[in-house]
Amino acid sequence: MARENEKEREEAKQDDAVALPVEGERLRELEETWKSPRGVWKFLTDTNHKVIAMRYVVTAFVFFLLAGLEAAVMRLQLARPESRILTPDLYDQFFTMHGTTMMFLFAVPIMEAMGLYFVPMMIGTRNVAFPRMNAFGYYTYLIGGLLLYIGFFLHVGPDAGWFAYVPLSGPQFSPGKRIDIWAQMITFTEIAALVGAVEIIVTVFKQRAPGMTLNRLPLFVWAQLVTSFMIIFSMPAVMMASGMLAMDRLVDTHFFNPAEGGDALLYQHLFWFFGHPEVYIIFIPALGFVSSIVATFTRRPVFGYLAMVLSLIATAFIGFGLWVHHMFATPLPQLGQSFFTGASMMIAIPSGVQIFCWIATMWRGKLRLKTPMVFVLGFFAIFVLGGLSGIILASVPLDWQVHDTYFVVAHFHYVLIGGAVFPLFGAMHYWYPKWTGRMISERLGMLTFWLLFVGFNLVFFPMHQLGLKGMPRRVYTYLPETGWGSLNMIASVGAALMALGVVTFLANVWASRRAGVLAGANPWYADTLEWATESPAPDYNFANIPTVEGRSALWEMKDDTPIVVGLSTECREVLCTHIMDAEPDHRYELPGPSIFPVLTALAVGVAFTAGIFTPWAFPVSAVLSGASLYGWFWSNRNSKNEPVKERRARTDKADRPSPRPAARTVEGEA
Amino acid sequence: MSARPLIDVSGLPKHRFDTHAPIWWGNLWLLAIETTMFVIALAAYLYTQQNFQVWPPPNTSTVYGLDPVPGLTPGTINIILLVLSCVPMILTDLAARRGDRGAVKLWLTVCVALGVVMMILRWFEYGAVKFTWDSNAYGSSVWMLLVLHTLHLLTSWGEAVLLSSWVWTQPLDMHRRVDITALAVYWYWVAGIWIPFYLLLYFAPRVI
Amino acid sequence: MTTRSAINVRLGRAGRRVLGVALAAVCVASTTGFDANQKVLAPAGPHAGGVSRLWWIFFPVLAVVYVVTLIFCAVAVARGRARQGRDAGANSIPPPEAKPDEARERRVRSAVVVATALTTIILFVLLVSSFLTGRELTMTRSDAGALTIEVTGHQWWWEVRYDDAVSANVFTTANEIHVPVGQPVILRLSSTDVIHSFWVPNLAGKKDLIPGKSSSVWLRADREGVYRGQCAEFCGMQHAHMAFVVVADPPDKFWAWVAAQRQPAVNPQTDSQKRGQAVFLSATCVMCHAIQGTQANASVGPNLTHVASRAWIAAETIPNTRGHLSGWVANAQGVKPGVLMPPNSLSSEDLQSLLDYLQSLK
Repeated sequence: MARENEKEREEAKQDDAVALPVEGERLRELEETWKSPRGVWKFLTDTNHKVIAMRYVVTAFVFFLLAGLEAAVMRLQLARPESRILTPDLYDQFFTMHGTTMMFLFAVPIMEAMGLYFVPMMIGTRNVAFPRMNAFGYYTYLIGGLLLYIGFFLHVGPDAGWFAYVPLSGPQFSPGKRIDIWAQMITFTEIAALVGAVEIIVTVFKQRAPGMTLNRLPLFVWAQLVTSFMIIFSMPAVMMASGMLAMDRLVDTHFFNPAEGGDALLYQHLFWFFGHPEVYIIFIPALGFVSSIVATFTRRPVFGYLAMVLSLIATAFIGFGLWVHHMFATPLPQLGQSFFTGASMMIAIPSGVQIFCWIATMWRGKLRLKTPMVFVLGFFAIFVLGGLSGIILASVPLDWQVHDTYFVVAHFHYVLIGGAVFPLFGAMHYWYPKWTGRMISERLGMLTFWLLFVGFNLVFFPMHQLGLKGMPRRVYTYLPETGWGSLNMIASVGAALMALGVVTFLANVWASRRAGVLAGANPWYADTLEWATESPAPDYNFANIPTVEGRSALWEMKDDTPIVVGLSTECREVLCTHIMDAEPDHRYELPGPSIFPVLTALAVGVAFTAGIFTPWAFPVSAVLSGASLYGWFWSNRNSKNEPVKERRARTDKADRPSPRPAARTVEGEA
Repeated sequence: MSARPLIDVSGLPKHRFDTHAPIWWGNLWLLAIETTMFVIALAAYLYTQQNFQVWPPPNTSTVYGLDPVPGLTPGTINIILLVLSCVPMILTDLAARRGDRGAVKLWLTVCVALGVVMMILRWFEYGAVKFTWDSNAYGSSVWMLLVLHTLHLLTSWGEAVLLSSWVWTQPLDMHRRVDITALAVYWYWVAGIWIPFYLLLYFAPRVI
Repeated sequence: MTTRSAINVRLGRAGRRVLGVALAAVCVASTTGFDANQKVLAPAGPHAGGVSRLWWIFFPVLAVVYVVTLIFCAVAVARGRARQGRDAGANSIPPPEAKPDEARERRVRSAVVVATALTTIILFVLLVSSFLTGRELTMTRSDAGALTIEVTGHQWWWEVRYDDAVSANVFTTANEIHVPVGQPVILRLSSTDVIHSFWVPNLAGKKDLIPGKSSSVWLRADREGVYRGQCAEFCGMQHAHMAFVVVADPPDKFWAWVAAQRQPAVNPQTDSQKRGQAVFLSATCVMCHAIQGTQANASVGPNLTHVASRAWIAAETIPNTRGHLSGWVANAQGVKPGVLMPPNSLSSEDLQSLLDYLQSLK
């Protein structure tokens, strides 16, 4: 192997000019190399991580709006007892679509998208490790989402809940195609989530800027990394569960049919083995947003880096040991259930540690109350309450009473909206300047916050009480005699405020895009590398790859902090570094734009969509995707090196005075 | 112009093998996902087993004979072939590291041919199961495991076809050599993962 | 709680007006009915009582934790802002502190450690109390002399069967479970279709009814009363209208009820009732329903032998009055869309006779 590397190095070294920083003519060349393709057709070939991630963010936000509208209609229906705004059939579709959309089409994709956007920038590289896979992931996600919503608009929306328990979702009690569409959509979005997770892990492992050892990884990146591992080990469970459900429905297997030895509880185990980690998959990236925002607006690093990282990892591990607390009401042995109570309570400890560390950070920092930080404070107020009501749900006897009631609805909205959506809104206000180059209005931002905060508490706080007064979940109406009317009315009024908050946010995004103050590279004076390049970031992210000398990359950057030179400007080359210590290892050429990701996604899409009607769609689509993958593979070849040499020599002569001596720190192998 | 010191990376190689290569890690996490799927399918199989007095359940149809336990012959030949096929794959792997295009061509083609034989044998393995997927939960579980592994067999075979078509027509550059070593890891995994499942499907019902 | 007062402070005039409108609407809505007896924290038996006691351990502890955490958070915000004001003017950005002073960090670190330790201790106490309550609720129950009732979940009603060693004494009713005060009752739960969940908040927590699995609930009513319960696992279109009541009577009253229920249906007396019975037996009713003492013995829908003795129909959806019953028989879909009972196009005379007959089935 050593021999190989020697040979490679020889080849690479043939043009022996000393490498120089990318400026002037070569910067234009770099721009040309990384430029996103333009035009309708070319639009589909883009593989830039920022473009793909922004498509994810926008698509996921559209789904968020749709799911929010569904929630608003449900709140209208429930505002008064026995109202007839929605028929029970429609109501079931609405709440199923609301849950499914929020979980699969909004929360997980948008959290991963934030990672796909900012992880490469924060670790100082130019693209994710497998750019075409990344694009493929997006298109499968889009096809899955479209499939679900086209079904919904054609009145074939799923109606068995986002959890689709068998036997209700089985062939006998849900004839028709509604559940099939749901099951296939799950497969699609999970493929996208898994692809994204692999992207993030490999990018973080291999493409960090020199000097960014694991010990200096920003907490945001740690959160994304931990989440990606959780995705890898949890999402396969739901793919298997939904796959088995689809097979029970389409080809008469008996996985969940008790008459033939199948088991309805097996489905619940598989679903919740995914379903509980899912909550943390949504929540942990949000912790990364919070850490970024808290550090920036307290003007100091987050207190207790090691404790924070270990808490994230502990949360991920314990997150896999909780699933049975969704099944306390099923006939399972009680001793086993107590184990899950212990685990469910234990997970409060790492969450607590993180809350304490953030409070300590504010305590010792210099706090600036800008909109993103205010959203973080809202997160504290809401999420802590949600976490504490979670401790109630972890207790087996208490869960027997509050399980599947509005108390649970209140709890998980406090955890998910408080724990994930508030930090997400904070993050969107925080990174808006990086996305658009302009500041977002503080005044409208604060208004958004207060509308959402007050609206949220009005909607969900009374639901705790509704649960204790016996109102079960997923009911399309209730009798006046139950006495649940008043609290429901308050909740519905709150929903209107929340809707207003979202509209304000949209208006702010739109208006600031035109009228916002120009932001410059680092408007918040933040410490992570995404702020080291201009706003919005160029296609290649960094003209010269920066290096890192501390945990707060920008705050600890000195005048003599080196930069990396010598990457090709003629092909999409990135620097690979060692996993642990981020020493430069080798150069790696990434593929450019390609049509094959979208073609492959379409071929897979044919399989899962047509597979609802005939199993023969699968072999047909296997051939199609095989053909597409063949093209994908064949089109991926490295650019030739010859012209590079010539052009480089020319440009070097043209505008370089004698370069500074290069600090050749990198010589040997690992 | 920047006054910063420079770290010149132009002397670094363009591709490296094994844990240096992003593709190796991408492959590894893909395998982690696939392994998780197999483990979950295994859990489902064992969970379903609890619902049965005897496993496999008594055979009610005489089409396959009265013995409900799956026949040994095709499955056993196939697992032996699977393991043996790792030998040409190891040779391919080593040749790729040397950059020996001739040897890669030869051994990769052997692997592709073996893949065809294994898929034909797999067809008979389905026949050796005395139930179909829609007979009962046992049949569904066994078929699920077989189909899951067949899909991986097919995928690794397809990847081998792609790469061998490249080495037959194109020069063997560094990029492809790294790809071939990643394919080898996948190939070993496809063989290795099936060993416990082979024992579970064919021997567990005989022994226990 | 704190969020409420925050609302009042922050909303301003416009907000208060919105709130006022909401509260007015609330008052209108709440005058329409009495508060149904379906409350977790108003226990009428040992099972719900144990959970309720546990609640009153958890809730105060967690409320204090919440308030203390938010106080610390508020103080941290105040301190942080003060430091920002000290180090820089209102509009300029203070320099970052990339490497915070180690000695000061150490003091904060001990505070974080203490807070974490406290969290752990509190969680441990709660865990133990939860475990003990769970054990108490399952271990100390006495099955001796318990009454066994079979409850079967159907889309969307409850079949209730009172077992007896003497087969003639076995009887079936629907949606109304009568129990004697003070005597333990074991409910054996099963489902014929999808998963349902049995839940009477005042008496006991939930238990799922899973097809292919058996489960049971133990409960005892210590106070007389009518306790409403409802299916708690989503089971399809009419999940919302799958309620039932547990009627806890003094033993003598209960046994009198049992004696009455064991009787076959009364024979029709008047001409209209006789015609009603004929209508019942010749229309589609017999395909699904049973009336003990007639040829009707199907078990797809509720047993109607003593339907007139029940206060509500359609799984506690509508009161058992002539008007409601009439609407239900003629077009159940209008009342409970998706219900498995088909509409019946009976002539008005037939319908009136049928109602006469059904109302005679005390």
